[in-house]
Order: sequence, then C-alpha cells, then structure tokens
Amino acid sequence: MIEVSSLTKKYGEIHAIEALSFSVKKGEVVGFLGPNGAGKSTTMKIITGYMAPTSGYARVSGYDVFEDPLEVKKRIGYLPETPPLYNDMYVQDYLRYVAQLKGVEKSKLTSSVDMALEKTNLTEVRHRLIQNLSKGFRQRVGIAQALVSDPEVLILDEPTVGLDPKQVSEIRDLIKELRGKHTIILSTHILPEVQAVCERIIIINKGKIVAEDSLQNLSALKSGAQKINLRIKNPQDDLVRVLSGLKGVMKVYSGATRNNWTLDTEKQDEVIESIAKEVMIRGYGLLEISSAKADLEDVFLKLTYGEETKEVVHG
Amino acid sequence: MDKVSAIFQKELRGFLINPNFFMVCGLCTVIMSWIYPIQLNIFAQELQNYVYQTQIPKQQLNIHYAVFLRHLSYLNLMLILVVPALSMRLFSEERKMRTFDLLLTSPVTSAQIVIGKYLALMVAILVIIGLAFLYPAFTSIFAKVNWLILGIAFLGIFLVSAVYAGMNLFCSSLTESAIVSYVMAVIFNVAIWFVGIGGEIVDSPLARKIFEHISLSQHLSSLVEGTIRTGTLVFFATLVFLFGFLSERVVESSRWR
Ligand SMILES: Nc1ncnc2c1ncn2[C@@H]1O[C@H](COP(=O)(O)OP(=O)(O)OP(=O)(O)O)[C@@H](O)[C@H]1O
Ligand SMILES: [Mg+2]
Repeated sequence: MIEVSSLTKKYGEIHAIEALSFSVKKGEVVGFLGPNGAGKSTTMKIITGYMAPTSGYARVSGYDVFEDPLEVKKRIGYLPETPPLYNDMYVQDYLRYVAQLKGVEKSKLTSSVDMALEKTNLTEVRHRLIQNLSKGFRQRVGIAQALVSDPEVLILDEPTVGLDPKQVSEIRDLIKELRGKHTIILSTHILPEVQAVCERIIIINKGKIVAEDSLQNLSALKSGAQKINLRIKNPQDDLVRVLSGLKGVMKVYSGATRNNWTLDTEKQDEVIESIAKEVMIRGYGLLEISSAKADLEDVFLKLTYGEETKEVVHG
Repeated sequence: MDKVSAIFQKELRGFLINPNFFMVCGLCTVIMSWIYPIQLNIFAQELQNYVYQTQIPKQQLNIHYAVFLRHLSYLNLMLILVVPALSMRLFSEERKMRTFDLLLTSPVTSAQIVIGKYLALMVAILVIIGLAFLYPAFTSIFAKVNWLILGIAFLGIFLVSAVYAGMNLFCSSLTESAIVSYVMAVIFNVAIWFVGIGGEIVDSPLARKIFEHISLSQHLSSLVEGTIRTGTLVFFATLVFLFGFLSERVVESSRWR
C-alpha cells in the first residue's frame, strides 16, 4: 500500500531524513516513534505529496507521490501537526468543504460529514464556530477532517495531542476500529499509544530508522536483563557501592527520592534474593522490592538516546 | 470544476460573513454619497452659466463627462485602496494559519485554487462597483442618460479592477503577512498607471506606439469614451492571465520546497 524507498530530505544543509525505506501493507497500523526533530513529520509530509523529497521515492497504492500527486492525494486523509482549520467557519461547513476538496460525490457529502462528526464525537458542536472551540475539540475537528473522505490511507501526525484522557482512549478505540479497513500511519511520542494501537513500530532517530519491528519483538530486545525497583526506609551512603558490588547487578540508578532506587540486573531470580538479603543485613529497612518489566520506553530511550538520558550513579 | 466552485463558494462566504467587507462597502458608500452630489451641483451650475456665456467647451456640458467620469475616477481611486484590502488575506491567511497544508494535500491543482479565489474576489469587487453604479442610475430619474456608453465606461472600470484583483492576489500569495501583502498590492496598483507614462517621454514613434499599447490609461480612456476595441479587451485579458499565471506558479512552488 505504502512503499518508501531510500527517501532523503535536506533542508539546506540539514538532513531531516536520510535514506529511509519501509513499506506498509494494506490495513496495517504503523506507529512512527522518535524524539523531537527525528524527521517524523517530514516523512509524513512527503508521503502526503505536500513536499518533494530530495531523493528517493514514495508510492501510495502504486502511485508515485511526485509523479501522480493528485491520485495519491485522493486516497489520503492527512492530519498535520497543526490542524488546518479555518477559524471563521462552522464545524459542519468546514468538513463539507474538505469533503468537496477531496472529491467526495455531491450525493454523499452530507452522509460523509455526519459520519466524520459521529466518529469523532463532534455532533454536538457541529453548528459552532471553529474559532470558539477548545484545543481538544479543534484537534478532533482535525481528525474528522482527515476521515471525512473515507480515505484508504490515513496519515495522522500526533493525533492525540491536547486531548483529555477520555478522548485519548476514544481516539485510540477509533483507530483500532479503523484498522483493517484503512491503512494508518501515526506518529507520536507517547509510548502507551503505540502499544495500544499499533501493530508495527518504526523508530526513527536523527532521520534514520533505528528499529522496525512488531511490538513483541521490540520489547524482547532488552531480554537478558531486568529492572528492579527498590524502596527502602534508611538509605546510607555506602548503598550504591554495596549494591553494585553484588553479583549480577549491572547498574544502580537513583530514583525520585533517596528512598527509591532502580537496578539493572541479570535476569536471574537469585539476584533479587541476594539484593533483598543484603538490604536487610545492612539495615536499610526494606519496604518494597519488585521486578519491573523491561518496557518499550527503555527500548525507545536506548535506541534513540543511548543510555545518556539517565543519570548513572555508579556503573 | 467542482473543486473550483467549492473554493469559490467558501471564499465568497468568507467575504460575506466578514464584517470588514461590509465596513469597506459602507465606507465606499459614505465617500461616494459625499462626493457625487458635489459633482452634480458643479455640473448644474455650469449648465446655468451656459445660458449666459457660450465659451465653455461643449464636453463639459455632457453629464457623461462632467459627472459620471469623475465619479468613475473616484471609484478607481477607491478600488486602488480597497481591492488590496479584500485580497490580502486570501493567500496570506492560509499560509499563516497553516490551512494551506489542507489545500496542498487535497487533490486540487494550483490553478483551481487560484481561479476559485480570484472569482470570489471579483464578485466582492463587483458588489462595490454595483454600489457605485447606483449613483448614475438614480441620476437617470431627472437627467437623460446614455445607458450604453455608461455601461461601457463601467465595463472599463470593471476590467481595470480585474487587473488589480490579479495583481493583488499575486501579492497575497507571496507573503504570510496580510499587512505586507496590502502595502505591496497598493504599490502595484499605483505603479501600473505609470507604465504608460513612458509614451510621453520617448521620441521615436515606434516606442511611443508600444508604450501606448501597454498603457492602462490609454486603454481605459477609450473605454470610458464608449468605444470597445478588441485590442483593449485582449490587453486586459493578458494582464489578468499573466498575474493569474504568476500566482499559480507561486502556489505550485510552495509545494515543492
Ligand atoms: N521547513 C524547514 N526548514 C528547515 N528545517 C526544517 C524544516 N522543517 C523541519 N526541519 C528540520 O528537519 C528535522 C526534522 O523535523 P520534523 O519536523 O520532521 O521532526 P519530527 O520528528 O516531526 O519532530 P517532532 O516530534 O518535534 O514533531 C528537524 O531537525 C527540523 O529542524
Ligand atoms: Mg513532528
């Protein structure tokens, strides 16, 4: 459905993206993940035919975005980073206008608008001026705008930004519901979001793909190690030295307070046992010890920032 | 075609729900209602004088020249300032509010965008020209009016404003700021009157002919006197097309940056 091959975009001297290649199958939901400035929006803009790549190509349904932009644009619903809203229009007129631009047939205009309003829970504000809507509602109008022509491909740049938690989960449900019928690419910084809705993740950093896989496989990247959370009552100065001296303990991080610590250890139950024993002997006052699952966040941070983000107390 | 009409309707609605448009119309009406009676009065006085002295040139005794054409020249002056105000947000606002992203990722061509916006702008300008037409129309109650010649004179002003609209739309496409677009557009509208002035300073007859041919005022003056020449229509059409084309290029170029 979507095919991207050695896509490169330069803004002057800056390489926004470099030799990006991936493909998305029909009906798949793919998440773009990456820190600020990674090139997520740039990639999306090229796929939507908004911008030309410096080199490489992107195809949607077999049409090259550069050579057949109109054919590509007919098939795409796009939510840019800033929702493209006209402040002086009413929600329903705006959606109708977008539907007309996208080439929805005259006879289907009204039903398309109603469908988009319904799916994004905007029916009660359909007669309001966009200007007077709150940020979250504006974002939802932006999503409705992408949906209104019932496109084959949906490109959503940070779709849940600015929404309240209930709305976030509703939009995620909506995306899950669209899965299968539409091919969806969405970008986000929020890990639970990709975990909740995406079948596949593409992690981008500094314009390059650093990992591309299904969720399970990515989470498994960290296997062989585990994370242990420790909460104690009386921390003492020698704690870091003592704990990191234990067999199987690789790193000790300080937590939110001096009472909370996180340890990277080898994946063996004996390690937990020996830590607990040591804490008791030293009289630190053990309150809690638990093994945290290696989550996507770690994978993400590791792949994009290396280990530099967390303060290493002792290694 | 559907796309053009969608953009046209949207922009036209934009004008009609915008209080600024009505303020501009109101302002124009106030100015015209103030100046027009004065012109009419002067004309009436000259007519009275004619009874006593016969030296006054005949032209000045024709209501078409003495009143209507002055009315039109004031209208022209207003359009120089008003058309930029109407056109300034057409593209600038889209850039600033990031709604241009929507147009550029929709299956519409740059030409369709420009044509839709241009037509909406022309309708808004027609409203103002229509308001101006009311004054001579009401004069016809107590004076004899040659409708054909009056109509052609108004056609002339309409064609000039079509050129303004093209240029000013082009100015709007160049910048994100409505103010910059306004100032630039006024400068364009004033400058185009000076293009033909070259005809008065060059000596060679060929150069003079060329300048006369590209002079807006030459073409307009033949129209306001009631003669339509094909060359004149072609001239205006060319200008409109030229600036329409330039705007289309600017829109197109913002896609491939
Ligand atoms: N119009 C532009 N001119 C110059 N550089 C740009 C332009 N747009 C983006 N960039 C640069 O390209 C790089 C990628 O930007 P992009 O917006 O694609 O990042 P992103 O992954 O979407 O980031 P974010 O998470 O903050 O939205 C950045 O370094 C940015 O500074
Ligand atoms: Mg972005």
